[in-house]
Amino acid sequence: MNLFNLPHTELLQHLINGLTLGAIYSLIALGYTMVYGILKFINFAHGEILMLGAYAGYFLYYFLCEGSQTGGFAIIAFVISLIFAMLISSFLGVIIERIAYRPLRKAPRLAPLLSAIGVSIILMNLAALFFGTKSRKFDYPFDNTALQLGNISVTPNQIMILIVGIILMASLKLFIDKTRLGKAMRATSQNQAVASLMGINVNFIISLTFAIGSALAAVAGIFMSMEFKLYPTMGQMAGLKAFIAAVVGGIGNISGAMLGGILLGLLETFGVVIIGIPQGLKDTIAFSVLIIILLFRPSGLLMKNIREKV
Amino acid sequence: MKKLLVVLFSFMLVFTFACGKESDVVKAGETIKIGFLGPMTGDAGNYGKLMSQAVKIAVEEFNAAGGAEGFNAEVIVEDTEGKVEKANPAIEKLAGVDKVFGIVGAVFSSVSLAVAPKAEAAKIVMISPSSTHKDLPDKGKFIFRDVMSDALQAVVFGKYLAKVENVKTVAILYIKNDYSQGLAMDFKDQYEKEGGKVVAIETALQGDKDFKTQLTKIKSANPEALYIPNYVAEIAQILEQAKQLGIKAKMYSADGFSNPQIFELAGDLSNGVIFSQAAQQKASSKRAEFEAKYQAKWGEKPDAFSLNAYDGAWIILNAIKATSSKAMNGNLKVDRDKVRDFVAKTKDYDGASGKITFTENGDLVANIGIYTAENKQFKQLKMYKLEGNNLVEIK
Amino acid sequence: MLNFILLIIIYIGIYAIAGIGLNLIVGYTGLLSLCQAAFIAIGAYTTAIFMTALHFGFFEAMLLSGLVAAIFGILIGIPTLRLKGDYLAIATLGFGEIVKNIIVNWDSVTKGPMGINGIPGPQAFGITFSAIDKVPWAVLIWAILAFCYYFVRRIVRSRIGRALEAIREDEIAASAMGINTAKYKIGAFTTGAFMAGIAGSLFAAYNQSVAPLTFDFMMSIMILCMAVLGGLGNNFATVVGVIIIVIASEIPRLVGISHIIPPQINQVIFGLILVLMMIYRPQGIIGRVKLNYAKIIKEEILHLEK
Repeated sequence: MNLFNLPHTELLQHLINGLTLGAIYSLIALGYTMVYGILKFINFAHGEILMLGAYAGYFLYYFLCEGSQTGGFAIIAFVISLIFAMLISSFLGVIIERIAYRPLRKAPRLAPLLSAIGVSIILMNLAALFFGTKSRKFDYPFDNTALQLGNISVTPNQIMILIVGIILMASLKLFIDKTRLGKAMRATSQNQAVASLMGINVNFIISLTFAIGSALAAVAGIFMSMEFKLYPTMGQMAGLKAFIAAVVGGIGNISGAMLGGILLGLLETFGVVIIGIPQGLKDTIAFSVLIIILLFRPSGLLMKNIREKV
Repeated sequence: MKKLLVVLFSFMLVFTFACGKESDVVKAGETIKIGFLGPMTGDAGNYGKLMSQAVKIAVEEFNAAGGAEGFNAEVIVEDTEGKVEKANPAIEKLAGVDKVFGIVGAVFSSVSLAVAPKAEAAKIVMISPSSTHKDLPDKGKFIFRDVMSDALQAVVFGKYLAKVENVKTVAILYIKNDYSQGLAMDFKDQYEKEGGKVVAIETALQGDKDFKTQLTKIKSANPEALYIPNYVAEIAQILEQAKQLGIKAKMYSADGFSNPQIFELAGDLSNGVIFSQAAQQKASSKRAEFEAKYQAKWGEKPDAFSLNAYDGAWIILNAIKATSSKAMNGNLKVDRDKVRDFVAKTKDYDGASGKITFTENGDLVANIGIYTAENKQFKQLKMYKLEGNNLVEIK
Repeated sequence: MLNFILLIIIYIGIYAIAGIGLNLIVGYTGLLSLCQAAFIAIGAYTTAIFMTALHFGFFEAMLLSGLVAAIFGILIGIPTLRLKGDYLAIATLGFGEIVKNIIVNWDSVTKGPMGINGIPGPQAFGITFSAIDKVPWAVLIWAILAFCYYFVRRIVRSRIGRALEAIREDEIAASAMGINTAKYKIGAFTTGAFMAGIAGSLFAAYNQSVAPLTFDFMMSIMILCMAVLGGLGNNFATVVGVIIIVIASEIPRLVGISHIIPPQINQVIFGLILVLMMIYRPQGIIGRVKLNYAKIIKEEILHLEK
């Protein structure tokens, strides 16, 4: 164990890095978990919705302020771009559901999964075709010089990601738990047929789910392109990992997705540091821990393990 | 169902016969085909795109200059996705269907090593613009490369850092791909041999964009310098995050840094980074000419590997032009062995990437330039060559 | 051109062996596995390591590859008995990423990202198999495929097969009927992994090299697509699915337009085929539509009312 030999400052720095990463994973995981909760299938195109949202925001931001500025106007432009990105992603999410998933509601279980993979391949390659394969930099609308607190550094962008992430997740939780629409969503996810008998427009609720999940993905996409650059395959691995996080948290459970995302972010940063092996092995550590968690809680961390009855 | 199979099979057979033709003759009215093999889609798609654009320029210039005996050339670009199992059908197609006479590629060492035996068997001259693994040139008579081997680049840079820059402690951060790992390992061996101390060696996975964990660990090790032999997207990310974490170490890199995209991605952080790359002869204007042409045609700047790809294409085309002759019936006869011999004899070819000479086994004889980035420009500081075990500066 | 077609035939053979293995797990037993590429990778690397470093003959190495993959099949099979449906899928997905990650990082054995090169061609029946001469390869691979096909056919048409299908349809009912579900599920996993190991071994020996990037998540997905596209729970359909996907991904090269159209278009077309197939024929090309009793009864009633 390497843990006790490390200076506290280094550990604290890892904690901050892990939390930022985790907040991004959580935002993505929410989209997966909401769709899964209602339709019981993995929306593999979610990562590509994220990527396209990020591109939409990027292009509007550069149209508005020609990039590389900071200060008042840039921040307004950034907020406008962020909202625009969320709208575009929501729109895409709804359209994709209409075209590629809705005809498959009654099909065998694997059919929508494969259809989603098809959509993901199409979107990723179209993006590469039209936007090019190179990485692009999404400039910060504010001065992103790191704040040095003793030996620890935190960037304003990290603070923004954490704050915006927490606000969005909290408001989603409130929306689902407290509003009529949220109640309709929960009802639909429990039993579609009964929900529709209760006068709930199931198709509308499903579209709404896709819209909200996709909008959150767009925010995650913009954060990712600021922290890690923008490129057509950016959604692939992040999407896969966020999905695993959602499952470990307990898929279909909103709090579970947040918890799973944060957990994965921390595992990726702390996992190898604690044991003291090269960072290249972080996936092995992170995924092993996640599989072990699943073995002890086969329905995820926050889901009750319901015994199946005949 | 059987019907479907029969239809498919007869479809294939038709193609087999429709495409059967003599291999070493270009019929009147047809083009001389050369191939490009590289990743055009997927994570590494951008590298293949930049290099294939360079090859296209070479072919256009060749045709504008009259081609070979009036025959125009054509480049066939095939996508490998950076994977061996996709590269195999690509080379089969280039060799079997298009009957190309030369190939520029492949891009990644792992792929080049896998396709080399097939190019060799089909007698296709293969010049890789970017596969730096030391074993590649030994794969066959027809296999060349016009990029420095890891062994050469890393050895020279290791000596340079230890002896010339007098850096005492280094941390290394590399990506687990064949390019970065090859350089990092050879550099580490040489640098330690010269008495330097590697205080931290960290890895990341292909596709990773978050290096904060590694950099936090490196910061604790407090090295004098950080060696990052990666491709630009990762380097830009490392430079930015290193600054955010307050790492003061001096930054060193390798020829992957030479892509001008670094200025777009890293901005001012690129200033002062020192890296190694094939040396540029001062007198040659070829590079500037090519870069201007590339910028005008494609709207972006070429990286160092694109220069290599451009030169590789020209070397192949020149060889075809010099060795083939027009037969009585108006066809162009190309002798693959002669093309290969002509390429092998390349000496002091004045290319965009510098002077190119091939060794006995087809590797590049190169002088190594030490470069730096300054105000969005690359600048060559010094030039070295390896004589025996000694670093010799060329003035 | 003939060489190119032979290559496609060889690829179809290799993927079909892995696909039939996966079909046993997903199609007959109903366990969604997303780590077939990991078993292929284990097979490929076992062959590569034993043939280059330890100078084994190809056929010994191939058998060993199958066995090593099968052992990993048991290893992943036992713990995942606790998991159901998509949770199982995620555990296998995680396992696949772990295998890839370890291969990339275990430099001393797997040569890391470089992969292993120079795997010698096998010698058998008085001929040396080389990458240049593809006919012996095609014959060998399709002979192994035929054997696997026959083997799985024997399994699924026996008591075992009926037990597997019972587990797929209703696990609780199956165990109530006295079927030892754990035994059969692990058995299916192990057999499927063994075949993937054999496919991986052939893959390594034919390409004479292995590299870690090859065995990514997309490869598992691709093999799953092959099985689903043909029609789950039907080996002949799986082979048809393999043929269609391999040919679909090589069509632009076959027709000779791969250098005219942008390479992304090829992938976009592939995605479109996938989506359209699923919308218009979700049960697969040769898959049977399950009898829908509710619908039949409703139609009968309508008929009577008229």
